Amino acid sequence: MDGFQTMLKFFINRRTAIGYSFMALLTLGSERVFSLVAFRCPCSNENFRYGLVFLFSPAFVLLVIGYFLNSKTWKLFTGCWVNPRKIFPKGNICHFFYIFGQITLNALVAPVMWLSVALLNGTFYECAMSGLRNPAYLDSICRNKSVKCFEELHKVACGKSTMPFSESEELKLTLQAQSQILGWCVIVTMAVLSLLTTCCASCQSKVSHLQLMFWRVYAEKEKEQLEQTFQLYATKLSERNLKCFFENKKPEVIPLPAFQAWEDASQIYSFSSSKQHYSTIHRLVEEGQKEINEERETTLEFVDRREIP
Amino acid sequence: MEKLRTAMDFCIRHQKILGYSIVSLLTAASEYIFSSVAFKCPCNSWNTVYGCVFLLVPAFVLFLLGYMINARVWLLVTGRCSPENQCSCDSCGNFRKVLMPVTASALVAPFTWIAVALLSASFYECAASRSSFIGKLVCRDIEKPVNASLEKIPCDKELSEEIGKFCSLQAQSQIAGWLLIAIIMTLALIATCFSRCFSPVSYFQLMFWKIYLKKEREVFEIKAKDHAAKLAERNVHFFFEPADPAPFWTPRNEDWQKISFPYGFNTKEQHYSMIHKYVNTNRGKASSEDQIHTVLGFVDEAHASESGF
Repeated sequence: MDGFQTMLKFFINRRTAIGYSFMALLTLGSERVFSLVAFRCPCSNENFRYGLVFLFSPAFVLLVIGYFLNSKTWKLFTGCWVNPRKIFPKGNICHFFYIFGQITLNALVAPVMWLSVALLNGTFYECAMSGLRNPAYLDSICRNKSVKCFEELHKVACGKSTMPFSESEELKLTLQAQSQILGWCVIVTMAVLSLLTTCCASCQSKVSHLQLMFWRVYAEKEKEQLEQTFQLYATKLSERNLKCFFENKKPEVIPLPAFQAWEDASQIYSFSSSKQHYSTIHRLVEEGQKEINEERETTLEFVDRREIP
Repeated sequence: MEKLRTAMDFCIRHQKILGYSIVSLLTAASEYIFSSVAFKCPCNSWNTVYGCVFLLVPAFVLFLLGYMINARVWLLVTGRCSPENQCSCDSCGNFRKVLMPVTASALVAPFTWIAVALLSASFYECAASRSSFIGKLVCRDIEKPVNASLEKIPCDKELSEEIGKFCSLQAQSQIAGWLLIAIIMTLALIATCFSRCFSPVSYFQLMFWKIYLKKEREVFEIKAKDHAAKLAERNVHFFFEPADPAPFWTPRNEDWQKISFPYGFNTKEQHYSMIHKYVNTNRGKASSEDQIHTVLGFVDEAHASESGF
């Protein structure tokens, strides 16, 4: 039992890395399935459009799903029509773009994984670029090849061209090589960018590393506590309401937070270095239902991400 | 059960070495998968670029990943350039001392990739098969076959055997791979010897130190969860109840900052961690006599099991 606990703790500690690896494997699997089952290069003038659609549409769908699944999106947009000041607070217009930028960066992980896996595989790029009718590109690809290359490049992906086998095979391999080099470039660029942004964000963080760790634990505990308390109060309130309905009695008073308190608690958390607050609810409880002064934010995204969507 | 427990203890005692071995095995396995499934040498003027990209770019990506996963980087970087701590170069020397061992451990996976790739020879063979390259650098004595393009070597078995009588690209690649492994192992041994030689504490004290840190980390996690749970319960309770919140003491931001410095050893005092030092010196600061030693890097790694990534 003890050993099992230790192993479980080991995996829970590395859940971010395990989560990303699992996502990568899932992307790889689904890309394989797509290219084997659904993808049939038309080998005509439609190649370019067909290949690009297969390359970019799943990426776009994954981006949209990423937006949907991030609870910060809903925290940002809920009630924004009724009260636009929520997303564009006084004197802080960039607040919305900052938060939206963070959400977008999180949502971009899956599409970039799809793009890099698809490019490393080479099938979609090969189909797309064999249908590109750009003269400069055709000149560079068909250099030292027969004249038929210019006319029949789009048939190379299906193996239906009348060129000699070695030539069409070489063209296919060249296109695949270009695709794989592009795929590695995408991976390297994303790795460098994410390391730089994480470094910059950490560097400018107003809280130290161990306090950030404690903060994560607190955010999880607060979420559990909120769910439990919601259940408890919801049960109490519904019991009272139904009892009074069926027994025709006067309802006893159950104190609940006011509408403004809910609004204040649902704001996206912004850190204030002079105070010691670990969440919006913590700040509300310490300072009462006053106007909350917001300072410049830090990347404490996990505080809001773990909330109930 | 007893045997399982013994095995688990063994794993936990040697977890660093086991960790590196697992990383190396995973890298070797993925290199094998890549070279058999994804790698197809185009056998034309793209050979060199293609071969070099497959050899070096994954190594660079693994190097960046090594930095991102290493917790000591985030302990060092978090909060260094925030508005409160002006970005100064007082601690630049410490920065270098901490970054060197971190870079060394991040280099394990990239070198494994390069070594395994050289041993399997396909990437080098593809990259080196360019007529001018072979003639000038790699195979000096070769008489160029008149009607064959040397770029076709990786795709043409007969040509490869014919050239192989004078100059075997595969053999060169494997020799380079073994030399790389030998050099890295020697350098690692020398570096470990040096860091142990300069260690300010004795062998048994180091052993005790590691056990102390393990225990401190376990107690820290339990206490942090406990404290977070109590704070969360108090905040959520007073959000729903219309009463003044009871006071609740939590360590201040400055206290967290003090225990989040990289560990510096001081010969006059006997402190086994930053928390120990903080508590003993009556919540004092790190003194200027603290020195950073590479052999004591495990002190920082103990508390930061999950990186900021």
